[in-house]
Amino acid sequence: MSTAMNFGTKSFQPRPPDKGSFPLDHLGECKSFKEKFMKCLHNNNFENALCRKESKEYLECRMERKLMLQEPLEKLGFGDLTSGKSEAKK
Amino acid sequence: MLGASYAAVPLYRLYCQTTGLGGSAVAGHASDKIENMVPVKDRIIKISFNADVHASLQWNFRPQQTEIYVVPGETALAFYRAKNPTDKPVIGISTYNIVPFEAGQYFNKIQCFCFEEQRLNPQEEVDMPVFFYIDPEFAEDPRMIKVDLITLSYTFFEAKEGHKLPVPGYN
Repeated sequence: MSTAMNFGTKSFQPRPPDKGSFPLDHLGECKSFKEKFMKCLHNNNFENALCRKESKEYLECRMERKLMLQEPLEKLGFGDLTSGKSEAKK
Repeated sequence: MLGASYAAVPLYRLYCQTTGLGGSAVAGHASDKIENMVPVKDRIIKISFNADVHASLQWNFRPQQTEIYVVPGETALAFYRAKNPTDKPVIGISTYNIVPFEAGQYFNKIQCFCFEEQRLNPQEEVDMPVFFYIDPEFAEDPRMIKVDLITLSYTFFEAKEGHKLPVPGYN
């Protein structure tokens, strides 16, 4: 890792997230979906492409429990997984 | 690791409230981009995850996966975990860093847990997700040709009323 002496013009500027911050899931309402996703990652050499269904389901859980703003899944990059679901269409 | 990212902190500008920034125009544009972007499937990038806490914050904070393999143009989810092992509520606020620096412009966080105060009650443990993607333009940047590892580091600080955070711009 590079040293901390990287000051000057090459400083990294963090940017806020596009959609802001996730509310904390204090009650663990979506914990089981997270567990499913993590298990998928462990079983698939941490390859994101093979666990997209699980990540979509985690985010859907958040949306259902008002822990995330409702959004069509295509706008979250899951257009290829939605295939005709009416709730995902605008 | 402790202290390495802290040394660079004075150069960060922390945004207190994410909602006031950019507004819906920026968010709308970003959503359109996500909807229309095409994954660059032959360009696999390893994302590795670091977690730090500033010395005064008594949280246990760590990533739930050491790495994840993604491709540009594909949204990805990853998790951190934070626990407050004390007997008092503690409020933290985090910032992040990307290495290599030049890859940072392509690292887009759709939603995460940074830049806003997060309160953990005594003994509470929570999952902290990061939902992100690498911009497909990463694959077209000749400076990125040898970049196949991007490290995402989060650092949590304690946010106390009246307490001055060691970062400029924090309100």
